Amino acid sequence: MIEKEKLQDYARKLMFEMNDEEYTTLQQEFAVILKQMDLIGQIPDIAKVEPMTFPFITYQQELREDIESDEGVLTVNEVLENVKHEVDNQVKVPKVVE
Amino acid sequence: MYKVVIGLEVHCELKTKTKNFSNSLNTYSTVPNEHVATVDMGLPGILPVPNKEAVRKALKTAMALNCQNPDEVIFDRKNYFYPDLPKGYQITQVTKPCGINGYLDIFVGEEEKRIFIHQLHLEEDTASLEHYNNYSLIDYNRSGIPLMEIVTEPCITSSDEAISFLEALRNVFLYCQVSDARSDKGQMRCDVNISLMKPDDDKLGTKVEMKNINAFTSVRAAIDYEIKRQTEILDQGGKVKQETRRIDEDGKTYPMREKVDAIDYKYFIEPNIPPVKLSKEYLDSIRQEIPVLEFERIKNYQQDYGLSFYDASVLAKDKGIADYFEAVIKEGAKPIESVANWVMTVVLGTLNKLDITLEEFFITPKMLAGVLKLINEDKISLNHGKKIIYQAIKEKKDPIDIIKENNIEQIKDDQIILQHVKDALEENPLQVDQYIKEGKDYVKNFFVGKVMQKTNRQADPVLTLDLIVKELEKRKDNERK
Amino acid sequence: MDYRHKTIMDLRSCLDEGKVTAEELFETAKDLAKQYQEQDNSFVSICDKFKMKQSQSLLSGIPYGLKDNISTSGILTTASSNILKDYIPVYDATVYQKLKQSGAVLVGKTTLDELAMGGTGTTAHTGIVKNPWDSARMIGGSSAGSAASVARGVVPFAIGTDTGDSIRKPASFGGVVGFKPTYGRVSRYGLFAFASSLDHVGCLTRNVLDAAIVTDVIKGYDPLDMTSLKDDGKEYHKMVNNSIKGRKLFYIKEACDLDNYQDQDDSELIETLKQFHEVLDKLRGIGFEIEGISFDKDLLNAIYPAYMTISCAEATSNNANLTGIQFGPRGEGNSIEEIMFDARSKGFSELIKRRFILGSYILQKENQERLFLNACRVRRLIVDKVNELFKKYDGLIMPASGGIAPLFGTKSDQLSDRYLLLENHLAIGNFGGFPSITVPAFFVDAMPVGINITGRIMEDDVVLMMAQAMENILKCKNMVAGDKIV
Repeated sequence: MIEKEKLQDYARKLMFEMNDEEYTTLQQEFAVILKQMDLIGQIPDIAKVEPMTFPFITYQQELREDIESDEGVLTVNEVLENVKHEVDNQVKVPKVVE
Repeated sequence: MYKVVIGLEVHCELKTKTKNFSNSLNTYSTVPNEHVATVDMGLPGILPVPNKEAVRKALKTAMALNCQNPDEVIFDRKNYFYPDLPKGYQITQVTKPCGINGYLDIFVGEEEKRIFIHQLHLEEDTASLEHYNNYSLIDYNRSGIPLMEIVTEPCITSSDEAISFLEALRNVFLYCQVSDARSDKGQMRCDVNISLMKPDDDKLGTKVEMKNINAFTSVRAAIDYEIKRQTEILDQGGKVKQETRRIDEDGKTYPMREKVDAIDYKYFIEPNIPPVKLSKEYLDSIRQEIPVLEFERIKNYQQDYGLSFYDASVLAKDKGIADYFEAVIKEGAKPIESVANWVMTVVLGTLNKLDITLEEFFITPKMLAGVLKLINEDKISLNHGKKIIYQAIKEKKDPIDIIKENNIEQIKDDQIILQHVKDALEENPLQVDQYIKEGKDYVKNFFVGKVMQKTNRQADPVLTLDLIVKELEKRKDNERK
Repeated sequence: MDYRHKTIMDLRSCLDEGKVTAEELFETAKDLAKQYQEQDNSFVSICDKFKMKQSQSLLSGIPYGLKDNISTSGILTTASSNILKDYIPVYDATVYQKLKQSGAVLVGKTTLDELAMGGTGTTAHTGIVKNPWDSARMIGGSSAGSAASVARGVVPFAIGTDTGDSIRKPASFGGVVGFKPTYGRVSRYGLFAFASSLDHVGCLTRNVLDAAIVTDVIKGYDPLDMTSLKDDGKEYHKMVNNSIKGRKLFYIKEACDLDNYQDQDDSELIETLKQFHEVLDKLRGIGFEIEGISFDKDLLNAIYPAYMTISCAEATSNNANLTGIQFGPRGEGNSIEEIMFDARSKGFSELIKRRFILGSYILQKENQERLFLNACRVRRLIVDKVNELFKKYDGLIMPASGGIAPLFGTKSDQLSDRYLLLENHLAIGNFGGFPSITVPAFFVDAMPVGINITGRIMEDDVVLMMAQAMENILKCKNMVAGDKIV
């Protein structure tokens, strides 16, 4: 069983909190998935398999040409459309201490 | 004394039209949030599409740094939360960086040193944060600008070496035309890792990291300060704390806010960017674009042309100047030492004086070579040559045309000059008398001027003076007799 | 006019013959959407005004629903999550752009499991989506509202997204067709990412031809999605009736053979498998060659955990942009950390948080090898094995689920054979990016069950042809919830 403290630490690093009950459910979920993953680890020679990221690779795709285009480009108003706090066309947040 | 071990992580913004993963412009702007695409602000649903030119420039730099290139382009995600990182992850390269295991040969003073490059990878810049009294502002203009990171092995041993390396590296960027590398604009920034160890220790000392230093002078100050600070700690039997510090304007370093724990960046391959194969032909075509770099040129100029280290360094510092210098030689100008001299004084001097670039400089290598040839053949004098060059710059006229138009190839014939000398003496008896009777030696210069007037400044001045003195002395002797 | 049972082609004729206007169709759809909203909860938002662009496309004037995790400029898009409850995008997803260009008329944004992470249709911030066939049952998810609105007859088609089975499973539970084309066939630009390497955009319709018509409109290369495929130049809707004679299908014996479940008291499962095999026999009768093949059980058991591992890992990263800073509700607090913390704590439901923690754990340096990379390795083993079989067979045929839509409140045993073998095999289609379609096939306990056909990558046309042939011999075409079962 993964300790609750450890899970709390993950939650903190992911920038949210959960209540105690939720951690209990999470611990149970972890138990199931880790058990299943252990079985995967037992598949013979699994370590020799190249991990798969893409569903398939065709090498058809090309990099984007470096030319001007409007596609996906926003106006300043669009940038700020969903921003709740703005000052001088910028997003205002509490002071970031470095 | 302790052994100093320094490793550098250099970030350099690449010069491209558009950003690394979006179509917004990669350009410096004073208007906040003017050049932002959906991708740059991490809106839900966005997908990165990598910029071919950025990849090309990163590969090119990697080659210039003698790195091995990968067989294909892929990217990885580096996951962490920070307000300047709108997606919550930065797209970078871990699995297959654009270059690994390279080196750059540099001069530290006149000493050669090889700096080993651990890796070079392509990533994206973050948004910029501006801090005010009780709030900060986010501007996404910088978010997604292609950024190249070069990580050295910990093989640098002094601030001199660090600065020499940074300058040489900037020169590689400029030679390869991948970046303007202006540290004042934050286009080139540097993290410094530094540790001290006893000379006979086999384990590296505790590492202190200093982040985001722009100016090279600050890099020097930070290193020197840290060496002093860590030496004092170690001398007193203390232990250096592993931490991140920043350099302040007073030239001292201060610890940055403590991070509670080391961040696990949870790297994994960026699934939205399928691998793109790099063919041998493609890589070769990039390799062919890499010019002979500064280090090699300095060596070549010394070995092949017999120039001093200083002269070679001045000429090789800027690729344009170095190319110009080589082009003048190629045009047949001789001797090389004099070509070097002319490029360093007349060309560089004019660029500085008029504050213009080499592209704006009117005199082509061919023009300069033409003038230098005439000087070398003694057809015109050195001073004259210079005057003509300056006139050509001023009038934007081919100097050879000026020479031809004014018929000012030098007169070397003593008979012709002698006739002019005699005429001049005849016409100015008063000055002749001053020389003969009053011993006024400077009168000879007066006659040089007269002869020059008569010959439209074409008379060889040395020969002229010689003949004037002879003639005057002859008359002096006659007078005595 | 019986709008609810009309196919796209029916509506096309009505429009072309002037029997109805596009605006009237929109009003009808809108009224139905509102009428059933309380009962089904299919929509997060219903469009007020009729808006369409004139076009020559078959979809011109046809009403449709769009899953609410697809970016629509100027129209609220929530991904059914509190963290985006007020988010109005400033840009259009490519799929939405293409539908707009085709003249299709958006009726509403459909409800999904929060951030598309779930298969029940019960986790939206606006409440649970109910199965139009039986309101005590789930419709499944995550494309819950899309499936329910099509099953209800509100719209003839809806756009869904599919990361594990999110189109094809609710299609089965709702008695409709759900098609997920080859990975990259439809651009994902503007789809709020769940797990980028598994996410697909597709459609839900009431017959196979309609699925082909919709796919023809939404497919195509998109420079804004590097994983999108070069156009194949095919018009699927003109190919669906091509002959399937001699096409070979296989099913997985370990999952589908009744013998394997003899000791289980699961009549629903037994009945489902029985009817599945009956359909197979019918299919053999029209020219399909179908064989059961044996698939390594270790690999079958690995599908679900590998899917969970990969999808949660990618999801935790994909959703790291949801901090309430540049969009979404701003959290409260005095520091930047506090406001991000507050926005995320309030914005995500418990299930989402649990999955993010799982994903984060999986990606930790010390766990990557054992968890994340092993999951990616087993993904390859499974895909390689299926591709190997695809050398001989044109497709994989399976019941889309082990039974009918579950009742609310039931929880599956995630370690049971039924769960691991029959409820999660559809993720194979996402692992390998295979085109995959669920077609309503039969009824168990008066509830529909679909059969799924998965084919080779790029062969979307072949999969549609085979599905069309299957649809032709079954009596489940153009069903609307409540129809009398034949």
